[in-house]
Amino acid sequence: MVRPALLADLRLIVGADGVIDRPEALLVYECDGYTLERAAPEVVVLPRTPAQVAAVLRLLAAQRIPFVPRGAGTGLSGGTLPVEAPVMVGTSRLTAIEAIDIANRRIVAQAGVVNQWISNAVRAHGLCYAPDPSSQPACTIGGNVAENSGGPHTLKYGVTTNHVLGVELVLASGEVVTLGGAVEDRPGYDLVGLVVGAEGTFGIVTRATLRLVRAPEAYRTLLAVFESVDAASEAVSGIIAAGIVPAALEMMDRLILQALEQAYHIGLPTDAGAVLLIELDGPAVALDPQAERVAAVCRQNRVREVRVARDEAERAALWKCRKRAFGAVGRLAPNYCTQDGVVPRTRVPDILRHIAAAAERHRLRIANVFHAGDGNIHPILLFDERDRDEVRRVLAAGREILEACVALGGSLTGEHGIGVEKMAQMPLLFGPEDLAAMVRLRAVFDPEGRSNPHKIFPDAKVCVETRAPRRQAAM
Amino acid sequence: MTPWADIVGAEHVGPGAPVDGQVPAWVVRPGSVAEVQECVRAAARARASLVVQGLGAHLSIGAPPARLDVVLGLDRLARVIDHQAGDMTVTAEAGCTLAALAKTLAQSGQWLPLDPPRADATTIGGLIAANLSGPLRASQGRVRDLLLGVRVVGADGALVTGGGRVVKNVAGYDLPKLHVGALGTLGVIVDATFKVRPRPACEEAVVIAARSVEAAAETALGVMASEVAPFWLEVGGPGALPEGPGDGAAAVVGLAGIAEEVAHARARTLELARARGLRAITVADGAALRARLADFALEPAAAVLRASMLPTEVGEFIARASRSGAAPRCLAHAASGVVLMAVPEARAVAGLVAALRPGLEARGGSLVVERATPEVKAQVDVWGDPGEGVALMRGIKAAFDPGGLFAPGRFVAGI
Repeated sequence: MVRPALLADLRLIVGADGVIDRPEALLVYECDGYTLERAAPEVVVLPRTPAQVAAVLRLLAAQRIPFVPRGAGTGLSGGTLPVEAPVMVGTSRLTAIEAIDIANRRIVAQAGVVNQWISNAVRAHGLCYAPDPSSQPACTIGGNVAENSGGPHTLKYGVTTNHVLGVELVLASGEVVTLGGAVEDRPGYDLVGLVVGAEGTFGIVTRATLRLVRAPEAYRTLLAVFESVDAASEAVSGIIAAGIVPAALEMMDRLILQALEQAYHIGLPTDAGAVLLIELDGPAVALDPQAERVAAVCRQNRVREVRVARDEAERAALWKCRKRAFGAVGRLAPNYCTQDGVVPRTRVPDILRHIAAAAERHRLRIANVFHAGDGNIHPILLFDERDRDEVRRVLAAGREILEACVALGGSLTGEHGIGVEKMAQMPLLFGPEDLAAMVRLRAVFDPEGRSNPHKIFPDAKVCVETRAPRRQAAM
Repeated sequence: MTPWADIVGAEHVGPGAPVDGQVPAWVVRPGSVAEVQECVRAAARARASLVVQGLGAHLSIGAPPARLDVVLGLDRLARVIDHQAGDMTVTAEAGCTLAALAKTLAQSGQWLPLDPPRADATTIGGLIAANLSGPLRASQGRVRDLLLGVRVVGADGALVTGGGRVVKNVAGYDLPKLHVGALGTLGVIVDATFKVRPRPACEEAVVIAARSVEAAAETALGVMASEVAPFWLEVGGPGALPEGPGDGAAAVVGLAGIAEEVAHARARTLELARARGLRAITVADGAALRARLADFALEPAAAVLRASMLPTEVGEFIARASRSGAAPRCLAHAASGVVLMAVPEARAVAGLVAALRPGLEARGGSLVVERATPEVKAQVDVWGDPGEGVALMRGIKAAFDPGGLFAPGRFVAGI
């Protein structure tokens, strides 16, 4: 139990309005985008500066209190769920963009800066920040760094780790270290590369130096309509085999198309088996020949129709659909759970068959909208949380889908992280020696294991003894 | 010799060749991952220190080892294990050369777009351990951007898998990053998986001659800021480029893609040069020119230094270095802010480091002595200051190699 003296000390650091401990106000923080398990922290601290983050962590270090970092709470694997961590440190008030260097294409942003703000800040200079998770209007750079977030355009541009040059990290001890920076190739181990994707278990990132890229001169955005998921999958393979790397290559199946059309009425073919949203970008002169080659590959794979966005408004409408697909799913069922697995891209048809079989076996509806070009699947399992049996079937089907991903040579997660959601499945992917190496690495950064404890690694003690009473799954 | 011969066979144990002046007792060449594990365990038991090499092409990188008993040669682990063209991934053993890998990938029109010097003698393991790069890093990224997974034999002989074989993967920590540029100080990389890309249909280059290196660098920045998306972008100081119009400084712009986009980019680049009143020529075989530039560091030089800075600082830096008494020839991966300096005389190195390093480090950059004689290396810190992360780096070394088995003293801060 957090003592009143600690609350007073926290208020001294961040001000009275930066400490939240009223139970009803804490409810907002009881889960992130992964809603199957919930637990409110005892107190939420919202520092306004990196220095305040360090002061808070020094205070917690002195009393050996574990903590959970949190950005905007859009994570999808329960990475911000407090498990034996009474204090949540939110970075959402660290909202300053501290430096922009157009000529060198660098930007320094505090952890609470929203992903979309970065591109907004440099758009006038023809630059942008490439990683574009679907939550980009809300998710923060700090969260992106913690989760190594992806997005539709990572097929061509890479994920967060490819765009982070430096971070300021506050260790659990409260010590502040600047790692990497605007200049590439600093000698030494790639600590920045280790911190990105560590899910907040190495400490709290308060600032990041990011690489900007040139905004594409032009786009061609195509919607290819197929009778079946298989035909669409084969077209994906065909596009890759033709040596074309689109900026994005997304698949949406019939169920998601129906939900989207109901929500946005933009004329999506609700009777199609699947559509591919294919975006090419680059110099305008190269796009028409490439778009024609993509269309030809689609035709070879029995495409019903290829639509090309005629202008920016049509392109924006297509992307709005894609990025809001998860929201539209709300029309199909009271609750949904998104899985995030990866298979080698040629195995997309196989995993989709596994998903369909799991849906049938467990009497569930599963919609698919995902990064087909990367082999990064996002099956959306629909359910009603009041139906306890259905919740159990959802969890079982999710597990089976992930097991199939691993069996096909893939991974448990492409961009959402392990969090609490997939801890138990880590041994499917990694042996004891592999996990031991990771745990050793964690101990270098956080020897007491106080920064975001009980995440990522299978933790038998917590699973069996502590977790059940602490976390209330929404089931 | 006995323990080693028992593991790998007597024919694969030979007398050691010096590494930075240190002569190991043996070079041991295991033929399998299991043999690598046995060798590491044997070395640990004997408290012998190991330096790993592929074909030895880049062994000049690093500080002289504090101790050296055995060189572990991985040239026998040279297979391409699995190339999945449809998945755009490839897995190869550590001793596989980039040239051999390229041959396999080319059958599907693909490549691993990393172009360090000496592709024929550079192995996958060396590429990762020394974090090698070349002109292509301007658009294709570095090892860290393309590496998906590694298998590494740790100090206890255990085989540890990091990452995976798929192009997107955030399960657990990014262990492959731990070994990139670590110079073999944390374990022996035995195989690795990379993402590969389709090789562009056309690759050309435009060489723009400039009156000064500052003007060449300014032109390169102009190219970066324009809608020409250079495939690579080099800036050479006086005497650095073997060809091109004039013998002064130059910016060299690599262009690639389908024919239409290359033609368009070429026209834009030539226009950009014209607007600055500079002469430019087009080189049809851009890949060949790039390969020659990538091998720049091999050209006759007593020592090679690598400086890192912001792209906007390149011109002034090269001008300053060129004015120094050491008279280095300089070539920059301009879009990345990396300047390679070939120094004609070994005795000039220490002075050059003393003159240039403080200014670079004060602005977040670095200066590394990549190649020099053991005598020169004894006089200078070859790495410079690794920054505020040094305590964490020491912690990582202690966690993964507590007995100091792997290349002790070779890395930054005496690691």
